[in-house]
Amino acid sequence: MKYKIGRSVSLYSYQQEYYEGKLDLEGCIREATKAGARGIELLAEQMMDDFPIVTPEFKEQWFGWMEKYNAEPTCYDAFLENRIYDNRTLTLREQVDMMNRDIKIASELGFKTLRTLVATPLDVIEGSLSCAEDHNIKVCIEVHSPFSLNSGWAEGYLNMIEKTGTKNFGFIPDFGIFCKEIPDALREQALRKGASKEGVKIVDDAFKSRVENGFVKIDYDLNLGRAHKAYMEANGYPQLMEALKKANANEADYFYAGESFAYTWNDPKDIIDNIKYIYHTHAKCYNLTKDYIEPSMPIKEIVDAYKKAGHHGYLSTEYEGNRMLNDALEVDSIEQVRRHQEALRRAIEDE
Amino acid sequence: MFPKQMFDKNSFKNVNENGKIIGFSFDMKIQYYRGITLSIIRNIEVEVDEKSYPRDSILFTVNNETFTLDEMRTVISNRWLFGQYARVTVLCENGLSQGQHHIKCIQTIAPSYMPFQIVGPGELDFEIQEDM
Repeated sequence: MKYKIGRSVSLYSYQQEYYEGKLDLEGCIREATKAGARGIELLAEQMMDDFPIVTPEFKEQWFGWMEKYNAEPTCYDAFLENRIYDNRTLTLREQVDMMNRDIKIASELGFKTLRTLVATPLDVIEGSLSCAEDHNIKVCIEVHSPFSLNSGWAEGYLNMIEKTGTKNFGFIPDFGIFCKEIPDALREQALRKGASKEGVKIVDDAFKSRVENGFVKIDYDLNLGRAHKAYMEANGYPQLMEALKKANANEADYFYAGESFAYTWNDPKDIIDNIKYIYHTHAKCYNLTKDYIEPSMPIKEIVDAYKKAGHHGYLSTEYEGNRMLNDALEVDSIEQVRRHQEALRRAIEDE
Repeated sequence: MFPKQMFDKNSFKNVNENGKIIGFSFDMKIQYYRGITLSIIRNIEVEVDEKSYPRDSILFTVNNETFTLDEMRTVISNRWLFGQYARVTVLCENGLSQGQHHIKCIQTIAPSYMPFQIVGPGELDFEIQEDM
């Protein structure tokens, strides 16, 4: 099928340099476009100082940068702080108001999609659909590991789409659901923190066996803590703990074991099955080698699924390896994003 | 999350009010990847040279406003920005002695979407210099 896949960068990728004051917002946009991307994804709560207010000055700057760097806004990442008070959760009305506020900011800054997190209650999404329609925004729930497409969890949202007939809701898959290996940078960090070779091997073998035998998928449950616990149990977490205990594992081994459950492998054909509802993608990455390989995931195989499905939309680099390095090593997000954009370009353009 | 980049090493100093040392202060950045309203900061724990200070002795200053940790629970229109230094003041008689010290500070933040709280510790060796 004919596809049109654009490349975007989530400015989240540059958080280390931004945090250290090495890049400002314009610098992030400049680097993203220098890396070959046209699309820009923003976490307003990370880099827009006056959030939730869009000042006329900011708006003018923002569109000025889009023009200067030949860029276009792709996705606005929202958070829905529905427990902003520590003594209660916001009422449904308050949550819908907050969601609508973000939809309006996204629209004002020229974004087409809005990322909402897995924790967003279904009735809040439903309540904001008319605002999304009025502002031409597609609200998309992030399919972030350990959540997955083709799961009981995703079914809940598909039912809602069917029930409401909405054209303003869909999915944003995150490439963390396509990890065939635990990120190598995470393994190296664990070893740096004192993990034992034996402990690391036990964790790696357990991950390998999950990949080979298939992950048990997570269910739909508004209580995310409970859903997550059930998911961990179904995927062999207690057995792994037992094996580590027997091997006299240390604290760093347990850290590595816990972290390993953040990554999952799903068949990229899940993308093809759900392409109708995929409006944007977080092309997550943790480490790109000099020859443009991401050791934890088969980029080409994943991108091929998008091509096969005839996807029209952006793949947005989301580099997240900084936290696996910054306890001891220098982070170079600019180079990592450049390499990932090149890897995406090759995968998109290769016949 | 950013343990090595959390503190401003040169910000540690005793706080002088009307010629009297009433405590010490330092500047730090958030251990999280976005800015937040102060209302979701659940705790800030300070320990210097293994001595910990009571919760009610801690003041937090950002964007020209100062709050106690309990007051922060209702602050929804002042945001601690991502990468921005906030000032922590610890009230204690005579502050810290001149010379080398070691601090451990733990930020506990409760982003709404997370089933657990983020506990972000940072440690640093620092020096209190002679009062100016």
